[in-house]
Amino acid sequence: MLIDKNKTRAAMIGLLALTTVAAWPRAVSADTVLRIGMTAADIPRTLGQPDQGFEGNRFTGLTMYDALTMWDLSSADKPSVVIPGLATEWKVDDADKKKWVFKLRPGVTFHDGSPFNADAVVWNVEKVLKQDAPQFDASQVGVTASRMPTLASAKKIDDMTVELTTKEPDSFLPINLTNLFMASPTKWQAFFDKAEGADAKAKSQAAWAAFAKDASGTGPWKMAGFTPRERLELAKNDKYWNTARVPKVDKMVLLPMPEANARTAALLSGQVDWVEAPAPDALPEIKQRGFVLYSNEEPHVWPWQFSRVEGSPWNDIRVRKAANLCVDREGLRDGLLAGLMVPASGTFEPGHPWRGNPTFQIKYDKPAAQKLMQEAGFGPSKKLTVKVQTSASGSGQMLPLPMNEYLQQALAECYFDVQLDVIEWNTLFTNWRRGAKDPSANGSNATNVTYAAMDPFFALVRFLQSGMAPPVSNNWGFINNPKFDELVTKARQTFDASARDAALAELHAASVDDAAFLYVAHDVAPRAMSPKVKGFVQPKSWFVDFSPVSMQ
Amino acid sequence: MLAYIARRIVYVIPIVISVALVCFLLVHITPGDPLVAVLPADASQELAAQLRAAYGFDRPLPVQFGLWLLRALHGDLGNSIATGRPVLAEVMRAVGNTVTLAIAAAIIGFTMGVLLGLIAGYFRETWIDKLATSFAIAGVSVPHYWLGMLLVIIFSVQLNWLPAVGAGPGGSSAWAWDWAHLQYLVLPAITTSVIPMGIVTRTVRALTGDILSQDFVEALRAKGLRETGVFRHVVKNAAPTALAVMGLQLGYMLGGSILIETVFSWPGSGFLLNSAIFQRDLPLLQGTILVLALFFVFLNLLVDIAQAAIDPRIKRG
Amino acid sequence: MSELPLSAMNEAALQAAPATKARGYWATVGRRIVRDKVSMACALVLIMIFLSAILAPWLGLEDPYKGSMIRRLRHIGTAGYPFGTDELGRDMLARLIYGGRLSLLIGILPVILAFVFGTSLGLVAGYVGGKLNTAIMRTVDVFYAFPSVLLAIAISGALGAGILNSIVALTIVFVPQITRVAESVTTGVRNMDFVEAARASGAGPFTIMRVHILGNVLGAIFVYATSLISVSMILAAGLSFLGLGTKPPEPEWGLMLNTLRTAIYVNPWVAALPGAMIFAVSICFNLLSDGLRSAMDIRN
Repeated sequence: MLIDKNKTRAAMIGLLALTTVAAWPRAVSADTVLRIGMTAADIPRTLGQPDQGFEGNRFTGLTMYDALTMWDLSSADKPSVVIPGLATEWKVDDADKKKWVFKLRPGVTFHDGSPFNADAVVWNVEKVLKQDAPQFDASQVGVTASRMPTLASAKKIDDMTVELTTKEPDSFLPINLTNLFMASPTKWQAFFDKAEGADAKAKSQAAWAAFAKDASGTGPWKMAGFTPRERLELAKNDKYWNTARVPKVDKMVLLPMPEANARTAALLSGQVDWVEAPAPDALPEIKQRGFVLYSNEEPHVWPWQFSRVEGSPWNDIRVRKAANLCVDREGLRDGLLAGLMVPASGTFEPGHPWRGNPTFQIKYDKPAAQKLMQEAGFGPSKKLTVKVQTSASGSGQMLPLPMNEYLQQALAECYFDVQLDVIEWNTLFTNWRRGAKDPSANGSNATNVTYAAMDPFFALVRFLQSGMAPPVSNNWGFINNPKFDELVTKARQTFDASARDAALAELHAASVDDAAFLYVAHDVAPRAMSPKVKGFVQPKSWFVDFSPVSMQ
Repeated sequence: MLAYIARRIVYVIPIVISVALVCFLLVHITPGDPLVAVLPADASQELAAQLRAAYGFDRPLPVQFGLWLLRALHGDLGNSIATGRPVLAEVMRAVGNTVTLAIAAAIIGFTMGVLLGLIAGYFRETWIDKLATSFAIAGVSVPHYWLGMLLVIIFSVQLNWLPAVGAGPGGSSAWAWDWAHLQYLVLPAITTSVIPMGIVTRTVRALTGDILSQDFVEALRAKGLRETGVFRHVVKNAAPTALAVMGLQLGYMLGGSILIETVFSWPGSGFLLNSAIFQRDLPLLQGTILVLALFFVFLNLLVDIAQAAIDPRIKRG
Repeated sequence: MSELPLSAMNEAALQAAPATKARGYWATVGRRIVRDKVSMACALVLIMIFLSAILAPWLGLEDPYKGSMIRRLRHIGTAGYPFGTDELGRDMLARLIYGGRLSLLIGILPVILAFVFGTSLGLVAGYVGGKLNTAIMRTVDVFYAFPSVLLAIAISGALGAGILNSIVALTIVFVPQITRVAESVTTGVRNMDFVEAARASGAGPFTIMRVHILGNVLGAIFVYATSLISVSMILAAGLSFLGLGTKPPEPEWGLMLNTLRTAIYVNPWVAALPGAMIFAVSICFNLLSDGLRSAMDIRN
């Protein structure tokens, strides 16, 4: 059964040599292909609004589609900020702060050749917001509407100008709009007209299903082949509007590989050229075999989110601060995570426009932590019992169990008796929306759900504003701090971009000073690549730009 | 005979409906939000309610079951929540890959099993028998997911001879019967084959031993029948039971491949089931369980009928 | 994966016990099994695993929960850690021995529970017969229509991870199988002379079931149940392996196998150890069950 590998290899090399000689003229012009192993268990949805979180946006959103605003992904050192995308400029109406005017980029076409214009923008807003629009698709609403919670409607002013309306004044809108991808209405309409179905709703569903198999956006990559759950092939879009971002390779193949070991093995054996999140323990082997490792701080936080309901041990700020001071994050990084994390001293680290100047320094200082705990009335013979809910796996959770066990051990030194309530990831995530008071919290007083800190709503507002308490949003622990509320309102209503950033920095500093979370780590989005992959830049973002990547 | 077949088929109908009910109920006692795949944690309540209604999860369970069963009878198992694709198409594609694996494993397992069983039966109570029997016992006792892991450690990690996971360099869609693809099949097929191998060995050994120890074999030998003739006799008598056991084993391999497919990331029905469980994708989950259970029910039916056709004594009950 | 070896044993188990037994039958069986070297070796191995699991706290082992980032993934044979350490630097020897507690519990308890429920159901169905038999056996058929691996995984997937849920799921898987065996042997015994005689002498149905039938069918059901333990061990650990059983940080062989999978590139042989334990227990129970069956098969 097992054939001698060496013989096989020799035979294959011989065969390869033959075919290469025979096919020489064609080999020169052969397509360059970049093959990537993703961590997703399935290919993220391809119809415009991807699922699977930001990994979805990274692979099937930003590749095939563009949004009105985009992230600058060109630098590895500077924070990634919002830049113009399919809109060239935008501003809020001075008289009515709920109205925004977006000027669209001229001369952009969809992959099917139809023009991108104001009608397309309105159509794409309505696919998720206008329930009686033919293209309205419930399955895309959840992932989209929640990322732009205040957007209400869109109106065409002229061919190249659109007016967007929000439910309340909201300075975060341009940031939110990076998540609304522009799919081709013309292409969809063609599928709709051909679709069979009892009623318009059934036809619409069929049209979206067809569109998902043969999608059309304006992005630098076009859909070239699709096998559900197995592979997605993208081809470069020669006619991309930003000539600087026309892809260097001809084809990109995306393969879902949810198992870290499987991804690593695939890379080492040459099945793929690039893997997301290789198995941490295999890093030495990966490097030793000449593969290249990339990583960079990500807008991601691995925290314990404290319950602040009545009777929670975390209501004492000394306890919250003590926990933050008791964790040796560098030890965690160098030991368990093999260097693949950045110690967290808040949601944002120094250098980020929203960091601010907190006075409470989050670092490892065990004596200070023990002193705070003693002041709060605890000691070696009187331990404080805390219960944390976590899961054994989950998107963005890094290594949840080992990391929590590490915290359990570390906090034991500061008189904490940490009980871990390990539940299934989806259950944990569902409880995150239901809050600490819900029975599904099992009486725990902290939850361990990691979060993306790309935009201010997701990074700060939903956790800190009292109105965001369940069931509205993710203020899981019912934080109710008037200062936070006041700063949130101020940031939301400051429309000058740099003044808004200053207000956000103030909010962030206040949350660190209050030790609102146990901040533990930022993920670094490790990826490993074959040495043949050149030109890759890993920005401080969840996303990457595949365009400058070439294969040698 | 026809009456028996008809009775057997009629008898399957209530089973099928009950199986569907069990599938449906199992999935609906699941804790967690069924819309977690399309509804982010930060979605507002109105949005959640709006979506729940759009997907029909706001209706009473009996209504949901009735609608689901009605559509299922028309071959429509609904759409996956996570992907929006039709469940039936998803399951069938996955089942195709499971069939490939099961057939490869059956070829290995049944061949090995019959050979070992015959040898052991012929040389009963000798060291050859002991060796073959130990092999069979090990086959049925080994945690196959662990065996899979061991094979990966030896042949992929240490020796680097065979790929550890996956179904071919380009996924199963680009499957071809060449070494580049077949090498992906080797480890999962061997792993899958050990249990059928063990069971077939034991069955064939027992049958062969029984037949050989019967008086008439002695009589045949005394009459001067050659060993090839005796062997033909053994095969003829052992075949019906052995084939029935193999048929059932094939059914088990088609229906319950989740652990091995998970170890090897083999994109079959078990792997699909695993992802449906962890994504809480209810339509996909209930559809996959239903299709796999029905497969098993019908294979059982086939085996019963085939057995009755070969051996009329079985037509009791 | 193919199904675990249930169906093939079914018939063998039924043949194992003759319907009526003379006094001294069990003594003969006992003598025969003690003389069987393989069975005795297996019994010894199992007793050692059981005893060490029970006595784990008094064996002077390392704390199975206490890890250390510094000593992660030590190899087998490291001084102080004869079986190495796991991905969190916990002593593998201690975890393997402590792991026996949960693994054996979730592997064996479902069979015991199923033995109790299945025997009762099968006895009642077989003895009472009629509509009750139909009702019980048709319900059993529905569960029988699922491959047992699929059923176990579907139920635990629905109930969610947890030790209790695994035990419930596996019990539900095994009850129909034992019920079938029990019903079939009971039906065989119920019309025998001695049962008729008891009925004629005025014994009530419960007395007959308890005294006359149970004593005569228990042996066959018991042998069948012992053959299920190996399957149950593999399945229980399999559930944990998929993340549907025991939750971390509890030491349990299936779960250990799962979490150690990430280490197969660094320390493959330590990663393989928990599976070896499952294998050892499973094969010993299988051999012991075989030995018991042939010891009870006096015809041989």
